[in-house]
Amino acid sequence: MKIAKYPFAVLSAALFTVMLITPISSISNLIWLNSVNMPIGIFKSLEVLLFDFQRLGILLYGVVIIGFAVAFSVTGLLTKYINFHAKYLYAFAGACAIGIAMYLMVVLLFESELLGGNRTIIGKILHWLAGFFGGYFYYFLISKNYDYTFIIRYLGVLYAYIILGFSLNWIFTPDTAAADFGFILKDLADNAQNALLKDFTSFFVATLIFALLGVVTLNPTWFFSAGIIYICAAIFNLTAVLIHGTEYNLIYVGEIFLGLWPIFLGITILIKR
Amino acid sequence: MKFYLSSFLFLFSIHSSAEYKFETVLDNLDDAWSFVFLSEDKILFTEMPGKLRIASLTNKSIINVTNIPEVAYSSQGGLSEVVLDPDFNTNNKIYISYSAKKDNKKITLYLASAELKDNKLVNRKIIFEANAYRRSPAHMGAKIAFLNDGTLLLTSGDGYDHREKAQSLDNHFGKIIRINRDGSIPQDNPFISYKNALSDIYSYGHRNMQGLVITSSGEIYEHEHGPKGGDELNIIKPSLNYGWPAITYGIDYSGAVISPFTEKEGMEQPLFTWIPSIAPSDMIFYEKDLYPELKNNFLITALVSKDVKQININDLTIQKSLFTDLNFRLRNIQDSPKGYIYLLTDGPNNKLIKILPK
Repeated sequence: MKIAKYPFAVLSAALFTVMLITPISSISNLIWLNSVNMPIGIFKSLEVLLFDFQRLGILLYGVVIIGFAVAFSVTGLLTKYINFHAKYLYAFAGACAIGIAMYLMVVLLFESELLGGNRTIIGKILHWLAGFFGGYFYYFLISKNYDYTFIIRYLGVLYAYIILGFSLNWIFTPDTAAADFGFILKDLADNAQNALLKDFTSFFVATLIFALLGVVTLNPTWFFSAGIIYICAAIFNLTAVLIHGTEYNLIYVGEIFLGLWPIFLGITILIKR
Repeated sequence: MKFYLSSFLFLFSIHSSAEYKFETVLDNLDDAWSFVFLSEDKILFTEMPGKLRIASLTNKSIINVTNIPEVAYSSQGGLSEVVLDPDFNTNNKIYISYSAKKDNKKITLYLASAELKDNKLVNRKIIFEANAYRRSPAHMGAKIAFLNDGTLLLTSGDGYDHREKAQSLDNHFGKIIRINRDGSIPQDNPFISYKNALSDIYSYGHRNMQGLVITSSGEIYEHEHGPKGGDELNIIKPSLNYGWPAITYGIDYSGAVISPFTEKEGMEQPLFTWIPSIAPSDMIFYEKDLYPELKNNFLITALVSKDVKQININDLTIQKSLFTDLNFRLRNIQDSPKGYIYLLTDGPNNKLIKILPK
């Protein structure tokens, strides 16, 4: 656990930083949309913030993980030779990692700024600050000793992060979400639309809540609940193909994956206890 | 021997598909971007690094045109469109659009006119410089077309980093420009009397427009690259706002939301939207008789879907994919004076392909 805490601290600090970075682009965009009299309300703002956190966040997560892994490894070596508060060194390293990552994204992408929130000086400073706090958080994580629950919680949050994407699609863009499953929403009768939306949305939102409850309480029952639902979905996907003659599809692979992940977390908790 | 060899090569370069045959008439071009027919046998074409060249399609000879302006060739910038003046037969005048640095600093879009004499551009002058300065030549637009009243339209893209400016009228990002052929501004332009608007703007709220067609009846059709999803075909009317980036059917390449809105009063809806993106790169409205099945259809080349989309003007909801056997990213499409369709593939070492009718 002592060695494992470092990579998981990087992964956790990166996720924390992504939570700080993505709203910079979202909010700057919302401010602009509001300035041109687009009807931005709470619901639309929430839609933009959550979608950005889920979709833009995944891209940024990869970038920040790489940046932090390099920066914190170097800083770890430097702390052995530099007599300075380590927490500030890590915070500074986090800011540098984000600054360099943002710069490289521009250089490597035809000199174009992919992140809307990074186009202004204020936006850039906010990104560096997010990196600074990310580094500080990393130091906070490595300065304490953890047991297995640290990894369980991290993997639980990551699982919930993935499920969040499906949930958002069904809540905010049901047409697109339904199309992914072969439904043309507007062609269905009103009752059928209603049934489809409430069932699918409940399915994903419930498993998201189960996963988050598992992360908070570390009660394996919540993880098992989420896992059982997806395993059942996989089983009945295949029975629909084999018994009822529906077209073969590969969705069951994802369902098995999303089912086994929380079940593995639940079993780990049981064994460790 | 030479005859047999050339016949063999000719046969070898003809590909067939279920409906059409393809003949490669030019290859190893250096990132050629657009072309125009000087005659049935001769084309004038641009290469993005900054070359304007004349090619014979029968003997494959290529001549460089001299006195070309210096261009900023990188990313999506360089020497872009070339068109002939409607009175080219009498005045030898051509127009070229290109990206270049202003005072060796930022890059913008330029439009120049010149006379083509003895393979040289003479009396070359810049007739338009876009108030759309950027650090890299992304989303330039650069398409040119002539209205039936003799004025000229030019598309000026949003520059990617400057997308929000497409909604304000004090710059040329994301605008269609209308000017006279000498660069002066027509007095009936829609924003001529607006205090805070550039008077050469014809329509606004565009992204990266790379297809611009004016039909014989005078209607203006344009298509533009959307972000991830949301490429659009629009009918253009003066003064109208086409919504980008306040309304869009796509999301950013990063996955970020550009706008949660797809419509708003006062902003135009596209005639057609491509989701996922096909990356439309050029368009003609085919009005000749050589391919009867394509008559009165838009033919739109695409980079990502590697085909030509055929859309009937009378039913824009129906589209057909053509020439998919080629499997090339397609950059440009033109029809010759006799009506033959030619396609230009995209990128370095690209080629010009003639489509032979059924």
